[in-house]
Amino acid sequence: MPSSEPIIHIDSELCTGCRRCAAVCPVDAITGEPGEPQTVDAHRCVICGQCVQICTAYAPDHLEASDGLKAKRLQRGQLPSVREPLFAAYSTGQALEVKRALADSALFKVVQCAPAIRVSLAEEFGLPLGTLTPGKMAAALRRLKFDRIYDTNFGADVTIMEEGTELIGRVLSGERLPMFTSCCPAWVKHAETAAPELLDHLSSCKSPMQMVGALVKTYGAKQDGVDPAKIYSVAVMPCTCKEFECSREEMEVDGLREVDVVITTRELAHLIKDAGIDFVNLPDEPFDSPLGLYSGAGSIFGVTGGVMEAAIRTGYELVTHETIPNLQLDFVRGEEGLRTATVQLGELELKVAVVAGLKYVSAVLNQVKAGHCPYHFIEVMGCPEGCVSGGGQPKLLLETLRKTAYQARKSSVYRHDSHQQVRKSHENPAIIKLYKDFLGEPLGHVPHHLLHTTYQSREKNVSPISAGRKGGKL
Amino acid sequence: MNHAASNSLVIAEAAKCIGCKACELACFAVHNRDNGVGTAVGTVTMPVLPRLYVIRTDSFTMPVQCRQCENAPCAGACPVQAIRQQDGVIAIDAEACIGCKACALACPFGAISLYKAYSGGAELPQPLLQERRDSRLQRKTRITAYKCDLCRNTELPGGSAAGEGAGGRGSSAAAAQDRNPFPACVAVCPEKALRLVEAGTGRSRSLNREGGTF
Ligand code: SF4
Ligand code: SF4
Ligand code: SF4
Ligand code: SF4
Repeated sequence: MPSSEPIIHIDSELCTGCRRCAAVCPVDAITGEPGEPQTVDAHRCVICGQCVQICTAYAPDHLEASDGLKAKRLQRGQLPSVREPLFAAYSTGQALEVKRALADSALFKVVQCAPAIRVSLAEEFGLPLGTLTPGKMAAALRRLKFDRIYDTNFGADVTIMEEGTELIGRVLSGERLPMFTSCCPAWVKHAETAAPELLDHLSSCKSPMQMVGALVKTYGAKQDGVDPAKIYSVAVMPCTCKEFECSREEMEVDGLREVDVVITTRELAHLIKDAGIDFVNLPDEPFDSPLGLYSGAGSIFGVTGGVMEAAIRTGYELVTHETIPNLQLDFVRGEEGLRTATVQLGELELKVAVVAGLKYVSAVLNQVKAGHCPYHFIEVMGCPEGCVSGGGQPKLLLETLRKTAYQARKSSVYRHDSHQQVRKSHENPAIIKLYKDFLGEPLGHVPHHLLHTTYQSREKNVSPISAGRKGGKL
Repeated sequence: MNHAASNSLVIAEAAKCIGCKACELACFAVHNRDNGVGTAVGTVTMPVLPRLYVIRTDSFTMPVQCRQCENAPCAGACPVQAIRQQDGVIAIDAEACIGCKACALACPFGAISLYKAYSGGAELPQPLLQERRDSRLQRKTRITAYKCDLCRNTELPGGSAAGEGAGGRGSSAAAAQDRNPFPACVAVCPEKALRLVEAGTGRSRSLNREGGTF
């Protein structure tokens, strides 16, 4: 079980008060005087981890001798074998917990990996920025003794089925428009905090991670003939906020946590190194079926505009019953904070917007509040270039490499998509089978039970709602 | 660059420095590619050893680094001539250094530090001496002097994406990397507090091209 502590911290012993973290924080959650240690306002903080990515104030070596670093690593939930420097801004991790579970033979250990992991994990082992390694990643997870290697990309395909159907329904009925995506937990937490009156504009879809979590302990358990209560479900995410998401109260299926624990890309690298696995020389291995088979559309969820592009690929065909003429939708690709486009879906003129980075979302929220938002569908990702730039991704040593790194990870994601045989979610055979054998219709009874969720206001001074982490006080 | 005139140096403006230590980290990163230090923090298996130091007083912070003194007192103090004038910098030959600390004592700016020597990310043993560690006799680690070399012979790590399944083997061969256009500290400072000064001509080069004089 995740602890009840907050996830993002600033170590007051290490913080130099440079306030670079405050400059990247999209929600002004970092307070303090210049030159003094800063603090994180847990209520505002959306746990995106951008402060963790930018902080360069590291613990000097001499703390090692005094056991100070050892204590700090423990406090941060790091494996004792970790050698890398410690920085003032950090997120607490779950690698110790996962390592313990991996050694427990009574558990059936299932893991899923977000789309953005396979384009960045290799950086932790010295390979060039953005190196694409889905096969080595699967091989490494298998050597870590996971029983099933599944994929969040599969959940992304399911998300498209559900969210796409939901969108078309809402557009046809003209209800609760615009509809916002709900894959990014940082965005969801921000909406719950900053615009609770607009929560019914969010898609009711759980994130791909939670969808896979729910399916692992139902559909997957049945396929494997395992008791769902024995399944230990781990997710590897580029995101520091996913740990928060997985411990939200709503994220339960039949009394079990959907995802038991989340680790970041960096923590997966720690576990691989800890186990002495030679990542660079691993062979390419496949994911397990059925929850590890994905389409190109699923794999682009990791970049800004990806959910939109995937949704349009499927939405176009659902609405027009024709094949989409071009799969590469350049108008949603890009890096501006807010991009808009109009897409012709048969008769329907669909107006869409893509928001990359939470600091660009308030203008859109204000439009919706004022009742004159022109868009039907809005993708919001908390991080500046989507999950490839997430707070749990490999942390760069040089700020000058940030643009190059994000660019390389992005093109890797797109290359992965273009190499897939199936590039549309609704054409993924595993998805077709899932709906035929288990889920029924999108938005139907079973999907409603397993794949959709509700949101809660986090307005300050409103009832003492649990802020997601069980028993937590964020 | 006119070597015959005088050595260039990197100098900081205290009023601009916010004390983030990005310069220290970048310095370490570009000087330790041989130790497996790549683009990500996770590739680091050794302590961060910078060649400049952000100092902090009650009223300001700023990094201090080697001035590349024309008549370098450190070189004069070195008993084994491990410090030389080379391509416009005062350079320490780490192999020749005997770790005697004379240079560090002689430097008026405190710009030289002695650290353990690393090779392939692991401590480099001293060939002759042993010491008691964890109640066993073990090879003593080699110690050498480190100082700013204006990023001579360093490269920016990075490199572009390799192919599907990462056939590309990583760091050493990884792509033709750019030479540092500036010393790494100058390049990364978010406040542009550092600049490379060509002291001989009085010209200075900073990233924002303000062209301040020295
Ligand atoms: S947490 Fe890091 S980035 Fe933020 S003020 Fe402290 S040292 Fe600077
Ligand atoms: S995690 Fe994100 S929201 Fe929270 S303090 Fe850091 S930058 Fe701000
Ligand atoms: S954009 Fe991705 S990585 Fe960033 S907070 Fe949202 S889900 Fe997490
Ligand atoms: S990078 Fe610049 S601002 Fe940061 S400590 Fe160094 S000189 Fe100061």
